[in-house]
Amino acid sequence: MALVEIRDVHKTFGKVEVLKGVSLDVEEGEIVTIIGRSGSGKSTLLRCINALESVDSGEIRVEGQKVHARMPDLKKFRQRVGIVFQAFNLFPHLKVERNITLAPLLTGRIEKAKARALAEDVLTRVGLADKIDAWPEQLSGGQQQRVAIARCLAMAPHLMLFDEVTSALDPELVGEVLKVMEAMAKQGMTMILVTHEMGFARNVANRIVFMHQGRVWEQGPPAKLFANPETPELASFIASAK
Amino acid sequence: MNFLPLWRYQNQLIDGAIVTLELTVIAALAGLLIGVAGAVALNGRITPLRWLVRGYIELFRNTPSLIQIFIVFFVLPTFGLKLPAFEAAAVALSLYFGAYSVEIIRAGLDSVPKNQIEAGQCLGLSGWQVFRHILLPPALRNAYPAVTSQFVLLLLGTSLASQVAADELFHVAGFIESRTYRSFEVYAVICAVYFAMAMSFKALFAIIGLAAFRWPRRR
Repeated sequence: MALVEIRDVHKTFGKVEVLKGVSLDVEEGEIVTIIGRSGSGKSTLLRCINALESVDSGEIRVEGQKVHARMPDLKKFRQRVGIVFQAFNLFPHLKVERNITLAPLLTGRIEKAKARALAEDVLTRVGLADKIDAWPEQLSGGQQQRVAIARCLAMAPHLMLFDEVTSALDPELVGEVLKVMEAMAKQGMTMILVTHEMGFARNVANRIVFMHQGRVWEQGPPAKLFANPETPELASFIASAK
Repeated sequence: MNFLPLWRYQNQLIDGAIVTLELTVIAALAGLLIGVAGAVALNGRITPLRWLVRGYIELFRNTPSLIQIFIVFFVLPTFGLKLPAFEAAAVALSLYFGAYSVEIIRAGLDSVPKNQIEAGQCLGLSGWQVFRHILLPPALRNAYPAVTSQFVLLLLGTSLASQVAADELFHVAGFIESRTYRSFEVYAVICAVYFAMAMSFKALFAIIGLAAFRWPRRR
Protein backbone atom coordinates (compact mmCIF):
# COMPACT_ATOMS: atom_id res chain seq x y z
CA MET A 1 0.00 0.00 0.00
CA ALA A 2 1.33 3.41 -0.94
CA LEU A 3 1.60 6.10 1.75
CA VAL A 4 -0.51 8.46 -0.34
CA GLU A 5 -3.12 7.15 -2.76
CA ILE A 6 -4.96 9.61 -4.94
CA ARG A 7 -7.77 8.19 -7.08
CA ASP A 8 -9.57 10.10 -9.82
CA VAL A 9 -9.84 13.33 -7.84
CA HIS A 10 -11.99 16.16 -9.17
CA LYS A 11 -12.16 19.65 -7.70
CA THR A 12 -14.10 22.68 -8.92
CA PHE A 13 -13.89 26.26 -7.74
CA GLY A 14 -17.05 28.06 -8.89
CA LYS A 15 -17.21 27.23 -12.58
CA VAL A 16 -13.55 26.35 -13.00
CA GLU A 17 -12.66 22.67 -12.79
CA VAL A 18 -9.15 22.78 -11.35
CA LEU A 19 -8.58 19.04 -10.96
CA LYS A 20 -10.01 16.83 -13.68
CA GLY A 21 -9.44 13.29 -12.48
CA VAL A 22 -6.02 13.12 -10.86
CA SER A 23 -4.59 9.76 -9.77
CA LEU A 24 -1.22 9.44 -8.12
CA ASP A 25 0.55 7.15 -5.65
CA VAL A 26 3.41 8.21 -3.40
CA GLU A 27 5.41 5.50 -1.65
CA GLU A 28 6.97 5.86 1.77
CA GLY A 29 10.36 7.59 1.59
CA GLU A 30 9.70 8.92 -1.89
CA ILE A 31 10.44 12.50 -2.96
CA VAL A 32 7.85 13.55 -5.52
CA THR A 33 8.04 16.90 -7.22
CA ILE A 34 4.98 18.32 -8.94
CA ILE A 35 5.75 20.79 -11.70
CA GLY A 36 3.54 22.61 -14.14
CA ARG A 37 2.31 26.03 -15.18
CA SER A 38 0.31 28.33 -12.92
CA GLY A 39 -3.28 27.17 -12.82
CA SER A 40 -2.44 23.56 -13.65
CA GLY A 41 -3.89 22.49 -10.28
CA LYS A 42 -0.70 21.48 -8.50
CA SER A 43 -1.16 23.63 -5.38
CA THR A 44 -4.81 22.64 -5.14
CA LEU A 45 -3.84 18.98 -5.26
CA LEU A 46 -1.35 19.54 -2.44
CA ARG A 47 -3.98 21.34 -0.34
CA CYS A 48 -6.41 18.46 -0.90
CA ILE A 49 -3.87 15.99 0.50
CA ASN A 50 -4.10 17.51 3.99
CA ALA A 51 -7.78 18.44 3.71
CA LEU A 52 -7.33 22.20 3.44
CA GLU A 53 -9.58 21.73 0.43
CA SER A 54 -12.05 18.89 0.12
CA VAL A 55 -12.37 16.97 -3.11
CA ASP A 56 -15.63 16.96 -5.08
CA SER A 57 -15.27 13.34 -6.19
CA GLY A 58 -12.69 10.60 -6.16
CA GLU A 59 -10.72 9.94 -3.01
CA ILE A 60 -7.42 10.55 -1.29
CA ARG A 61 -6.01 8.13 1.26
CA VAL A 62 -3.02 8.76 3.46
CA GLU A 63 -1.71 5.74 5.36
CA GLY A 64 -4.91 4.03 4.29
CA GLN A 65 -7.13 6.64 5.93
CA LYS A 66 -9.57 8.49 3.74
CA VAL A 67 -8.92 12.24 3.79
CA HIS A 68 -11.62 14.90 3.80
CA ALA A 69 -12.42 18.11 5.67
CA ARG A 70 -14.91 16.42 8.02
CA MET A 71 -12.88 13.32 8.77
CA PRO A 72 -13.24 12.31 12.43
CA ASP A 73 -9.54 12.56 13.28
CA LEU A 74 -8.71 15.64 11.25
CA LYS A 75 -6.56 17.20 13.99
CA LYS A 76 -4.62 13.98 14.62
CA PHE A 77 -4.27 13.48 10.87
CA ARG A 78 -2.80 16.95 10.38
CA GLN A 79 -0.27 16.32 13.11
CA ARG A 80 1.08 13.52 10.89
CA VAL A 81 1.11 15.56 7.68
CA GLY A 82 3.23 18.71 7.77
CA ILE A 83 2.77 21.50 5.26
CA VAL A 84 5.06 24.44 4.55
CA PHE A 85 3.64 27.42 2.69
CA GLN A 86 5.00 29.98 0.28
CA ALA A 87 4.38 32.79 2.82
CA PHE A 88 6.09 31.03 5.81
CA ASN A 89 3.11 31.87 8.08
CA LEU A 90 5.13 32.06 11.26
CA PHE A 91 3.19 33.48 14.20
CA PRO A 92 4.57 37.04 14.58
CA HIS A 93 3.65 37.36 18.27
CA LEU A 94 5.62 34.28 19.34
CA LYS A 95 9.36 33.87 19.50
CA VAL A 96 10.97 31.18 17.39
CA GLU A 97 10.99 28.69 20.28
CA ARG A 98 7.27 29.18 20.99
CA ASN A 99 6.41 29.06 17.29
CA ILE A 100 7.91 25.59 17.26
CA THR A 101 6.71 24.27 20.61
CA LEU A 102 3.15 25.69 20.61
CA ALA A 103 1.55 22.83 18.68
CA PRO A 104 3.55 19.97 20.29
CA LEU A 105 2.59 21.34 23.73
CA LEU A 106 -1.08 22.06 22.98
CA THR A 107 -1.61 18.70 21.33
CA GLY A 108 0.08 16.91 24.21
CA ARG A 109 2.87 15.50 22.07
CA ILE A 110 5.56 16.58 24.53
CA GLU A 111 5.82 17.79 28.12
CA LYS A 112 6.73 21.33 29.02
CA ALA A 113 10.10 20.34 30.45
CA LYS A 114 11.19 18.89 27.11
CA ALA A 115 9.89 21.71 24.91
CA ARG A 116 13.06 23.76 24.68
CA ALA A 117 15.18 20.70 23.91
CA LEU A 118 12.78 19.81 21.10
CA ALA A 119 13.03 23.35 19.67
CA GLU A 120 16.83 23.19 19.87
CA ASP A 121 16.84 19.83 18.13
CA VAL A 122 14.70 20.80 15.14
CA LEU A 123 16.40 24.21 14.84
CA THR A 124 19.76 22.46 14.67
CA ARG A 125 18.42 20.36 11.82
CA VAL A 126 17.64 23.51 9.83
CA GLY A 127 20.85 25.23 10.95
CA LEU A 128 19.25 27.94 13.10
CA ALA A 129 19.95 26.85 16.67
CA ASP A 130 21.23 30.34 17.49
CA LYS A 131 17.86 31.94 16.57
CA ILE A 132 15.78 30.16 19.21
CA ASP A 133 15.06 33.40 21.12
CA ALA A 134 14.51 35.65 18.10
CA TRP A 135 11.20 37.10 16.95
CA PRO A 136 10.16 36.00 13.44
CA GLU A 137 10.34 39.61 12.24
CA GLN A 138 14.03 39.71 13.07
CA LEU A 139 14.79 36.89 10.61
CA SER A 140 15.37 36.97 6.87
CA GLY A 141 12.85 35.29 4.57
CA GLY A 142 15.06 32.24 4.16
CA GLN A 143 15.49 31.91 7.92
CA GLN A 144 11.75 32.30 8.48
CA GLN A 145 11.07 29.55 5.99
CA ARG A 146 13.59 27.27 7.71
CA VAL A 147 11.89 27.95 11.05
CA ALA A 148 8.56 27.07 9.39
CA ILE A 149 10.10 23.76 8.30
CA ALA A 150 11.47 23.18 11.81
CA ARG A 151 7.99 23.90 13.22
CA CYS A 152 6.62 21.09 11.04
CA LEU A 153 9.46 18.75 11.97
CA ALA A 154 8.66 19.25 15.65
CA MET A 155 5.41 17.36 15.07
CA ALA A 156 7.42 14.40 13.68
CA PRO A 157 5.23 14.14 10.58
CA HIS A 158 5.11 11.02 8.42
CA LEU A 159 4.71 13.12 5.30
CA MET A 160 5.72 16.66 4.40
CA LEU A 161 4.08 18.86 1.80
CA PHE A 162 5.87 21.90 0.38
CA ASP A 163 3.82 24.47 -1.50
CA GLU A 164 6.19 26.65 -3.55
CA VAL A 165 8.25 27.28 -0.45
CA THR A 166 11.00 29.22 -2.22
CA SER A 167 8.81 31.36 -4.48
CA ALA A 168 8.59 34.30 -2.07
CA LEU A 169 12.31 34.37 -1.34
CA ASP A 170 15.04 36.57 -2.72
CA PRO A 171 17.18 34.47 -5.09
CA GLU A 172 20.19 34.47 -2.77
CA LEU A 173 18.08 32.94 0.03
CA VAL A 174 16.64 30.06 -1.99
CA GLY A 175 19.73 27.87 -1.64
CA GLU A 176 19.69 27.66 2.16
CA VAL A 177 16.07 26.43 2.18
CA LEU A 178 16.68 23.88 -0.57
CA LYS A 179 19.70 22.57 1.31
CA VAL A 180 17.54 21.90 4.39
CA MET A 181 14.99 20.09 2.25
CA GLU A 182 17.70 18.05 0.59
CA ALA A 183 18.98 16.96 4.01
CA MET A 184 15.47 15.91 5.02
CA ALA A 185 15.15 13.92 1.80
CA LYS A 186 18.38 12.09 2.60
CA GLN A 187 17.01 11.19 6.03
CA GLY A 188 14.14 9.36 4.38
CA MET A 189 11.26 11.82 4.88
CA THR A 190 8.42 11.31 2.44
CA MET A 191 8.00 14.60 0.63
CA ILE A 192 5.64 16.01 -1.96
CA LEU A 193 6.72 19.35 -3.35
CA VAL A 194 5.19 21.85 -5.66
CA THR A 195 8.07 23.89 -6.99
CA HIS A 196 9.48 25.97 -9.77
CA GLU A 197 13.02 24.98 -8.79
CA MET A 198 13.93 22.74 -11.71
CA GLY A 199 17.43 22.15 -10.37
CA PHE A 200 16.05 20.76 -7.14
CA ALA A 201 13.46 18.68 -9.00
CA ARG A 202 16.17 17.23 -11.20
CA ASN A 203 18.73 16.49 -8.46
CA VAL A 204 16.74 15.47 -5.38
CA ALA A 205 13.39 14.10 -6.49
CA ASN A 206 12.80 10.41 -7.17
CA ARG A 207 9.96 11.24 -9.46
CA ILE A 208 8.64 14.23 -11.36
CA VAL A 209 4.93 14.68 -11.91
CA PHE A 210 4.04 17.14 -14.64
CA MET A 211 0.54 18.53 -14.26
CA HIS A 212 -1.25 20.23 -17.10
CA GLN A 213 -4.84 21.47 -17.29
CA GLY A 214 -5.86 19.71 -14.09
CA ARG A 215 -4.43 16.33 -15.03
CA VAL A 216 -1.27 14.34 -14.44
CA TRP A 217 0.09 14.76 -17.94
CA GLU A 218 3.32 12.86 -17.63
CA GLN A 219 5.43 11.42 -14.85
CA GLY A 220 8.65 9.52 -14.31
CA PRO A 221 12.20 9.71 -12.98
CA PRO A 222 13.75 13.15 -13.45
CA ALA A 223 16.57 12.04 -15.73
CA LYS A 224 14.16 10.48 -18.18
CA LEU A 225 11.53 13.20 -18.00
CA PHE A 226 13.89 16.10 -18.51
CA ALA A 227 15.90 14.37 -21.25
CA ASN A 228 13.05 12.76 -23.20
CA PRO A 229 9.69 14.39 -22.56
CA GLU A 230 6.99 12.38 -24.31
CA THR A 231 4.43 15.14 -24.69
CA PRO A 232 4.90 18.46 -26.50
CA GLU A 233 3.34 20.23 -23.45
CA LEU A 234 6.10 19.01 -21.13
CA ALA A 235 8.77 19.73 -23.74
CA SER A 236 7.59 23.32 -24.07
CA PHE A 237 7.29 23.68 -20.28
CA ILE A 238 10.86 22.49 -19.77
CA ALA A 239 12.08 24.80 -22.52
CA SER A 240 10.31 27.80 -20.94
CA ALA A 241 11.53 26.96 -17.43
CA LYS A 242 15.20 27.01 -18.42
CA MET B 1 -13.01 82.31 44.20
CA ASN B 2 -12.75 80.23 47.33
CA PHE B 3 -11.97 76.51 47.42
CA LEU B 4 -11.79 76.25 51.19
CA PRO B 5 -15.49 75.41 51.80
CA LEU B 6 -14.98 72.25 49.68
CA TRP B 7 -12.30 70.93 51.99
CA ARG B 8 -14.69 69.31 54.45
CA TYR B 9 -16.26 67.32 51.60
CA GLN B 10 -13.04 65.63 50.61
CA ASN B 11 -14.17 62.23 51.86
CA GLN B 12 -17.34 62.39 49.76
CA LEU B 13 -15.25 63.38 46.75
CA ILE B 14 -12.91 60.45 47.26
CA ASP B 15 -15.83 58.06 47.69
CA GLY B 16 -17.44 59.46 44.56
CA ALA B 17 -14.24 59.01 42.60
CA ILE B 18 -14.00 55.40 43.81
CA VAL B 19 -17.57 54.69 42.70
CA THR B 20 -16.77 56.24 39.33
CA LEU B 21 -13.73 53.99 39.00
CA GLU B 22 -15.71 50.91 40.05
CA LEU B 23 -18.42 51.69 37.55
CA THR B 24 -15.86 52.21 34.79
CA VAL B 25 -13.84 49.08 35.48
CA ILE B 26 -16.89 46.83 35.87
CA ALA B 27 -18.49 48.12 32.68
CA ALA B 28 -15.18 47.87 30.82
CA LEU B 29 -14.50 44.26 31.85
CA ALA B 30 -18.07 43.13 31.20
CA GLY B 31 -18.14 45.11 27.97
CA LEU B 32 -14.89 43.54 26.78
CA LEU B 33 -16.28 40.06 27.40
CA ILE B 34 -19.37 41.05 25.41
CA GLY B 35 -17.02 42.45 22.78
CA VAL B 36 -15.02 39.24 22.30
CA ALA B 37 -18.12 37.02 22.40
CA GLY B 38 -20.00 39.33 20.05
CA ALA B 39 -17.08 39.53 17.61
CA VAL B 40 -16.87 35.73 17.52
CA ALA B 41 -20.63 35.52 16.94
CA LEU B 42 -20.46 38.14 14.16
CA ASN B 43 -17.75 36.14 12.40
CA GLY B 44 -19.59 32.88 13.06
CA ARG B 45 -21.92 30.80 10.94
CA ILE B 46 -25.12 31.07 12.98
CA THR B 47 -27.16 33.59 11.02
CA PRO B 48 -29.87 34.41 13.61
CA LEU B 49 -27.13 35.02 16.19
CA ARG B 50 -25.36 37.38 13.79
CA TRP B 51 -28.59 39.34 13.31
CA LEU B 52 -29.11 39.48 17.05
CA VAL B 53 -25.61 40.84 17.68
CA ARG B 54 -25.92 43.27 14.78
CA GLY B 55 -29.25 44.54 16.15
CA TYR B 56 -27.76 44.93 19.62
CA ILE B 57 -24.81 46.93 18.28
CA GLU B 58 -26.96 49.28 16.22
CA LEU B 59 -29.43 49.76 19.06
CA PHE B 60 -26.84 50.71 21.64
CA ARG B 61 -24.64 52.79 19.36
CA ASN B 62 -27.50 54.84 17.96
CA THR B 63 -29.40 55.77 21.11
CA PRO B 64 -28.31 58.09 23.96
CA SER B 65 -26.62 56.19 26.76
CA LEU B 66 -28.48 58.34 29.29
CA ILE B 67 -31.74 56.86 28.03
CA GLN B 68 -30.22 53.37 28.14
CA ILE B 69 -29.48 53.89 31.84
CA PHE B 70 -33.01 55.22 32.41
CA ILE B 71 -34.54 52.20 30.71
CA VAL B 72 -32.58 49.76 32.86
CA PHE B 73 -33.36 51.71 36.03
CA PHE B 74 -36.94 52.86 35.46
CA VAL B 75 -38.43 50.53 32.85
CA LEU B 76 -37.03 47.09 33.64
CA PRO B 77 -38.70 47.08 37.11
CA THR B 78 -42.03 47.01 35.26
CA PHE B 79 -40.93 43.66 33.89
CA GLY B 80 -39.85 42.44 37.31
CA LEU B 81 -36.14 43.29 37.13
CA LYS B 82 -35.49 45.84 39.83
CA LEU B 83 -31.89 46.99 40.15
CA PRO B 84 -30.37 49.57 42.53
CA ALA B 85 -28.90 52.69 40.90
CA PHE B 86 -25.28 51.53 40.79
CA GLU B 87 -26.13 48.09 39.42
CA ALA B 88 -28.55 49.54 36.86
CA ALA B 89 -25.90 51.99 35.64
CA ALA B 90 -23.28 49.22 35.53
CA VAL B 91 -25.54 47.02 33.40
CA ALA B 92 -26.45 49.82 31.01
CA LEU B 93 -22.86 51.04 30.65
CA SER B 94 -21.59 47.47 30.15
CA LEU B 95 -24.02 47.00 27.29
CA TYR B 96 -23.06 50.41 25.88
CA PHE B 97 -19.32 49.68 26.07
CA GLY B 98 -19.89 46.15 24.78
CA ALA B 99 -21.63 47.43 21.65
CA TYR B 100 -18.57 49.48 20.71
CA SER B 101 -16.16 46.72 21.76
CA VAL B 102 -17.76 44.18 19.43
CA GLU B 103 -16.96 46.29 16.38
CA ILE B 104 -13.48 47.20 17.61
CA ILE B 105 -12.52 43.62 18.41
CA ARG B 106 -14.03 42.29 15.22
CA ALA B 107 -11.91 44.75 13.25
CA GLY B 108 -8.92 43.48 15.24
CA LEU B 109 -9.74 39.84 14.42
CA ASP B 110 -10.25 40.69 10.74
CA SER B 111 -6.84 42.35 10.64
CA VAL B 112 -5.07 39.03 11.28
CA PRO B 113 -4.20 37.37 7.95
CA LYS B 114 -6.26 34.25 7.18
CA ASN B 115 -3.15 32.23 6.46
CA GLN B 116 -2.34 32.41 10.17
CA ILE B 117 -5.50 30.42 10.89
CA GLU B 118 -4.61 27.93 8.19
CA ALA B 119 -1.10 27.51 9.59
CA GLY B 120 -2.57 26.76 13.02
CA GLN B 121 -5.05 24.24 11.64
CA CYS B 122 -2.29 22.52 9.70
CA LEU B 123 -0.37 21.97 12.93
CA GLY B 124 -3.33 20.00 14.24
CA LEU B 125 -4.69 22.65 16.62
CA SER B 126 -8.38 22.83 17.49
CA GLY B 127 -10.55 25.78 16.55
CA TRP B 128 -10.43 27.14 20.09
CA GLN B 129 -6.62 26.73 20.29
CA VAL B 130 -6.18 28.58 17.01
CA PHE B 131 -8.45 31.37 18.26
CA ARG B 132 -6.87 31.68 21.68
CA HIS B 133 -3.19 31.32 20.77
CA ILE B 134 -2.87 32.49 17.19
CA LEU B 135 -5.75 34.83 16.37
CA LEU B 136 -6.51 36.65 19.61
CA PRO B 137 -3.10 38.09 20.66
CA PRO B 138 -2.41 39.97 17.39
CA ALA B 139 -6.10 40.94 17.19
CA LEU B 140 -6.01 42.45 20.67
CA ARG B 141 -2.87 44.35 19.83
CA ASN B 142 -4.52 45.86 16.77
CA ALA B 143 -7.68 46.66 18.72
CA TYR B 144 -5.87 47.98 21.77
CA PRO B 145 -5.57 51.71 20.88
CA ALA B 146 -9.27 51.92 19.98
CA VAL B 147 -10.32 50.00 23.10
CA THR B 148 -8.32 52.27 25.38
CA SER B 149 -9.72 55.48 23.90
CA GLN B 150 -13.20 54.00 24.17
CA PHE B 151 -12.39 53.22 27.79
CA VAL B 152 -11.69 56.90 28.49
CA LEU B 153 -15.01 57.82 26.89
CA LEU B 154 -16.64 55.27 29.19
CA LEU B 155 -14.93 56.79 32.22
CA LEU B 156 -16.32 60.22 31.34
CA GLY B 157 -19.68 58.69 30.42
CA THR B 158 -20.17 57.22 33.90
CA SER B 159 -21.18 60.76 34.97
CA LEU B 160 -24.55 59.98 33.37
CA ALA B 161 -25.20 57.55 36.21
CA SER B 162 -25.70 60.60 38.44
CA GLN B 163 -29.12 60.98 36.83
CA VAL B 164 -30.38 57.83 38.53
CA ALA B 165 -28.66 58.94 41.75
CA ALA B 166 -25.76 56.52 41.71
CA ASP B 167 -23.21 57.94 44.11
CA GLU B 168 -20.48 58.56 41.58
CA LEU B 169 -18.31 61.64 41.28
CA PHE B 170 -20.66 63.91 39.35
CA HIS B 171 -23.57 63.10 41.63
CA VAL B 172 -21.40 63.93 44.64
CA ALA B 173 -20.48 67.20 42.91
CA GLY B 174 -24.14 68.15 42.61
CA PHE B 175 -24.63 67.43 46.27
CA ILE B 176 -21.65 69.57 47.35
CA GLU B 177 -22.70 72.37 45.04
CA SER B 178 -26.18 72.42 46.57
CA ARG B 179 -24.66 72.71 50.03
CA THR B 180 -21.95 75.31 49.32
CA TYR B 181 -23.34 77.25 46.33
CA ARG B 182 -19.76 77.24 44.97
CA SER B 183 -20.57 76.05 41.42
CA PHE B 184 -17.37 77.17 39.78
CA GLU B 185 -15.11 75.75 42.45
CA VAL B 186 -16.96 72.43 42.68
CA TYR B 187 -17.04 71.80 38.95
CA ALA B 188 -13.45 72.96 38.51
CA VAL B 189 -12.34 70.41 41.08
CA ILE B 190 -14.50 67.67 39.55
CA CYS B 191 -13.13 68.40 36.09
CA ALA B 192 -9.61 68.22 37.43
CA VAL B 193 -10.35 64.85 39.04
CA TYR B 194 -11.84 63.42 35.82
CA PHE B 195 -8.90 64.83 33.87
CA ALA B 196 -6.38 63.32 36.27
CA MET B 197 -8.11 59.93 36.17
CA ALA B 198 -8.29 59.92 32.37
CA MET B 199 -4.64 60.89 31.98
CA SER B 200 -3.58 58.31 34.57
CA PHE B 201 -5.43 55.58 32.69
CA LYS B 202 -3.81 56.64 29.43
CA ALA B 203 -0.38 56.40 31.03
CA LEU B 204 -1.28 53.05 32.60
CA PHE B 205 -2.53 51.68 29.27
CA ALA B 206 0.62 52.81 27.53
CA ILE B 207 2.72 50.88 30.05
CA ILE B 208 0.46 47.81 29.86
CA GLY B 209 0.61 47.97 26.07
CA LEU B 210 4.39 48.01 26.08
CA ALA B 211 4.51 45.06 28.48
CA ALA B 212 1.84 42.96 26.79
CA PHE B 213 2.68 43.51 23.11
CA ARG B 214 6.42 43.10 22.92
CA TRP B 215 6.77 41.47 19.54
CA PRO B 216 8.05 43.66 16.69
CA ARG B 217 5.54 45.03 14.19
CA ARG B 218 5.47 43.66 10.66
CA ARG B 219 7.75 45.63 8.41
